Amino acid sequence: MTQVRAEIRKLLGLPTAWAGLILGTLLSPIIVAINAPAVRRMIADGALLGDVADLGLQNLGIGLIGPIILGVVVVSSEYTSTGDDAPRARQLTATLTAMPHRMRLLAAKTAALVTVVFVQATIAAAATLGLTHALLGDLVPAWHPGRIAAAVLYWVLLALFSYSITLIARNGIVPLTLQIINSTVVSVSYLLTKLTDLANYLPDIVGPQMFLSGSQLEVHIHPVVAGLTMSAWVAALLAIGAYLFQRRDA
Amino acid sequence: MPGPAHRLTTRMITIDRLNKIKGKARILYDVSFAARPGRVTGFLGPNGAGKTSTLRILLGLDRPQSGTALIDGQPYQSLRRPLATVGALLDGSGAHRARTARAHLRWVAASNGLPDSRADEVLEIVGLTGDAKKRAGRYSLGMSRRLGLATALLGDPRVLVLDEPVNGLDPAGIRWMREFLRKSAAEGRTVLLSSHLMGELAEIADDVVVIDKGRVLVQGELAEVTGDHRTLEDAFFALTATETGGSW
Repeated sequence: MTQVRAEIRKLLGLPTAWAGLILGTLLSPIIVAINAPAVRRMIADGALLGDVADLGLQNLGIGLIGPIILGVVVVSSEYTSTGDDAPRARQLTATLTAMPHRMRLLAAKTAALVTVVFVQATIAAAATLGLTHALLGDLVPAWHPGRIAAAVLYWVLLALFSYSITLIARNGIVPLTLQIINSTVVSVSYLLTKLTDLANYLPDIVGPQMFLSGSQLEVHIHPVVAGLTMSAWVAALLAIGAYLFQRRDA
Repeated sequence: MPGPAHRLTTRMITIDRLNKIKGKARILYDVSFAARPGRVTGFLGPNGAGKTSTLRILLGLDRPQSGTALIDGQPYQSLRRPLATVGALLDGSGAHRARTARAHLRWVAASNGLPDSRADEVLEIVGLTGDAKKRAGRYSLGMSRRLGLATALLGDPRVLVLDEPVNGLDPAGIRWMREFLRKSAAEGRTVLLSSHLMGELAEIADDVVVIDKGRVLVQGELAEVTGDHRTLEDAFFALTATETGGSW
């Protein structure tokens, strides 16, 4: 518990982590507020693409930048050079001399990340859905609590996904760039679904099906199967990351 | 159970036949030595001799191919609250550059169950109280070393392991460090420090371990190692048969 508290404190002491917290929490509600008038018109005209029940939950997608950043920086901050006069010096040295048992350290780090992202996702979901309901009212059907819980779980899993690939890469730039490009500019995973149905099981395609109806996709995956597939991805990558972290020289 | 055997291993650093290969290069060859409580042990050798590698293995950061490095008879990784046993100073301060010195010290303290107030105490010991709220990235080299030392002192450790502690310090800082380490040893602590500065080491060490190209050449009390030579430096060059101005 001592180590988990120290890791939470350490994470919240980073300006980049706060960028992730603020962006992740506020982006979705802001998008809801900006889009509301247009969405109201589209529903009235019957021009809305996709499922009305996905509204709100769908808008949570933009906030995923938050857990992605948090998952990356919790690890990448350990590997950033601490200064120009000692280019090889990194925070990881201080971390491992204070908490030398690597698996215990990793457990504390994981718990810290899960705690922070869970709180963030809960707040972001409450704000986004609350605002959607306030602005669109009866135009949108009430959300099933299971779907909301699944959305929060997806945020946590995506944070852990970023965390594990950063643990493997030992560097934040590559995982962050890849994920941001894939989720904003061009979704390589989505393009792959046009080539093979198997691509529907890639983490960023299968994950959202935990809580969205996925009506734009050709292959529909049951939310529970989607959740299990996403968890399996995370578990596998985390296992590889942990194995490497245990074995590598710091 | 306290007894003679227990006292013998307490605070003792025991390095036993360490071998390390990094990539294709052999870094350490059967490195063995001990550092005893109440004494300053100087680990002397040129850059690239294997000093930092040995200390990193001792601190559980790197893994050897074979051999052991123990503190109080235990590997570092099995120490429950390591900061109370060992204070370590390696390259840089260990603080993320976006963090203030105080915030860095506080999370390190928290990880070992130490109170926040300890951060201010160690900042005062190393003379950084006035810069506590400055971000570590804006620290000068000398200040970074002091912050690294402050981190090492958080748990009031019985053993100090320092890699090139005077690097980057100004003359006043070097003098301060020398006195601090002498005082620590006088209090009964085990002090192991590496250096490539032979003159500096001769001033401060009780015992000397000389390493070159990954092998320990000689170890013993300073006077023994110096032997018939005029200075430790002369002894070193005689031992390694390196010409002055050569690869040093």
